Amino acid sequence: MVAETVVHQSVIFGMQPLWLAVAILLLVYGFVMAEKFNRAVLSLLGAGMMVLGGVLTQQQAVAGVDFNTIGLLTGMMVIVAISQKTGMFQYVAIRAAKAVKGKPWGVLVMLSVVTAVFSAFLDNVTTVLLIAPVTLLITDALGVRPYPYLFSQILASNIGGTATLIGDPPNIMIGSAAHLSFYDFLMNLAPIIPVVFLVTLFFIWLMFGRDLSATEENRQLIMSFNEQEAIKNVPLLKKCLLVLALVIGGFTVAHQFHLEPATIAMSGAALLLLLQTWGEPLSAKEHAYESVMAEVEWTTIFFFVGLFIVVTGVEHTGAIGWLAEQTLAMTDGNFNATVAAILWISAIASALIDNIPFVATMIPMIQDMGPTFGGPDALVPLWWALALGACLGGNGTLIGASANLIVAGFAQRSGHPIAFMVFMKHAFGLMLITIVISHIYLYLRYLS
Amino acid sequence: MVVSSVMVTEPQTCCMDEHLDTVLRRMHRLGLRMVPVLDVAGRVKGVLSTFSSLAHIVPDYIVSGDLASVSFAPDIGLLRQRYTLVADKCVAEVMELAPLMVAPGESLLSVASTLVGSGTHDYALVIDAEGRLSGLISAGDVIAALMSMTKDEK
Repeated sequence: MVAETVVHQSVIFGMQPLWLAVAILLLVYGFVMAEKFNRAVLSLLGAGMMVLGGVLTQQQAVAGVDFNTIGLLTGMMVIVAISQKTGMFQYVAIRAAKAVKGKPWGVLVMLSVVTAVFSAFLDNVTTVLLIAPVTLLITDALGVRPYPYLFSQILASNIGGTATLIGDPPNIMIGSAAHLSFYDFLMNLAPIIPVVFLVTLFFIWLMFGRDLSATEENRQLIMSFNEQEAIKNVPLLKKCLLVLALVIGGFTVAHQFHLEPATIAMSGAALLLLLQTWGEPLSAKEHAYESVMAEVEWTTIFFFVGLFIVVTGVEHTGAIGWLAEQTLAMTDGNFNATVAAILWISAIASALIDNIPFVATMIPMIQDMGPTFGGPDALVPLWWALALGACLGGNGTLIGASANLIVAGFAQRSGHPIAFMVFMKHAFGLMLITIVISHIYLYLRYLS
Repeated sequence: MVVSSVMVTEPQTCCMDEHLDTVLRRMHRLGLRMVPVLDVAGRVKGVLSTFSSLAHIVPDYIVSGDLASVSFAPDIGLLRQRYTLVADKCVAEVMELAPLMVAPGESLLSVASTLVGSGTHDYALVIDAEGRLSGLISAGDVIAALMSMTKDEK
């Protein structure tokens, strides 16, 4: 109580903490959307302003950082940074393309499946960074335009990432805040994902599938790709597969042992860091360690740290509680209507703005609805609505998710740029269809 | 010893609006790996090298992604196709815009440390105060100067 009194007295320019916190949040949101500055710098500046402006004490700011999310992200980034050196992702992509004998539509389907599956267990950005260059090489060899392939990969990465706790940052944040396990995500979100994926593929076939064709000579080029050559380090590959299996197995049983996913991911990362240079001289170990650390996306990590503090500041002033009350007033406190509102608002918002700050703001808002609906356990369908909306909504536009922009960058560099409006014309309607499917699923499974 | 006493003077040059294919063929004929690019006033605008040309020929998605290598892929005719496109451009579109530049009066120690510190270049353009090209100096020129000095001492 003493701290709170001090806090309110030290707010700058005589502004009320509520308005200052909201202004900081909106400024951070605005500048992140404008993409003129590094987003980690912006969120850390916002976090600093929350403390310097007296909205939060330093202790409250540090307590607001969800270290489970931070640990899980960092651990998985380390594992991926080491695994990608093995070439296993390219190996799988080439095997997939050869499995369908280089037939253009088959290649599109297989590469989409590979992207979706990898995205479920790794982060989407890493997945597309690994798969998009191989895809462009394959489409160059086939002599087909790459757009349908890259388009389907964007959608597949966001759809696949929705299936698991670790597939997409919003899920990591939701899982940590709501104490939902990897197993919970598998049991509740994964079942609908194949349906969403197949429906999406069907519409992609309607839009592009019938026009895809390649000569027999070009298909033979695909068959002459040597996937064995893609594997760069067999001993490291074995170590990576072992650790990945342990980590994924660990995620599925972590809840029973009262372990957080961050513990599993960080332990797996440490084990793989140890194994990757086992038996090598100290200088090689140090070099390998430094090289892996350079691959970790520290910008994303620090973006999360700053964002958690900014949202904690807003939450602390009661603004998010007010927003929750308004949402409940809008839906008359009707649970089904609230689930629908969260699903659709999340989907539309995620198509237009970065879904990470959006979800960071929605989490405390949903938590504040707990008393109305009978406690935290009753909120579970709301969490699934938020996850489905935020992850699948990213498919709506080219700026809806980081992976979309990465693929667009590759397309640009390959001389086949993806126009914002063209992508939106193809993707937005498809995104709405996947949200309709999600709505039906939520209704049938949790609301009827 | 200073740069002007070691540098190669009157090197081959090219203009910004020359056809890339013509310049590359001339470089091949003369056994050159790079030529300075000058404007009409003789001021340095960049450098055209075989390396910078190759960097434009290799598709960017291969080198900027997370592909460790493409040794798994056969020759799919991509380079030939890309060469045709790139060679049709003018020099200004392909040249390197920020070559290493040193002054004629700089010491050999200074230019040697500049070359090594750059990490990628083994030559520097020697530029006068008006930005005009005075000559070229390479790592080989520096080593040759050192050899000649050591020989004199012996």
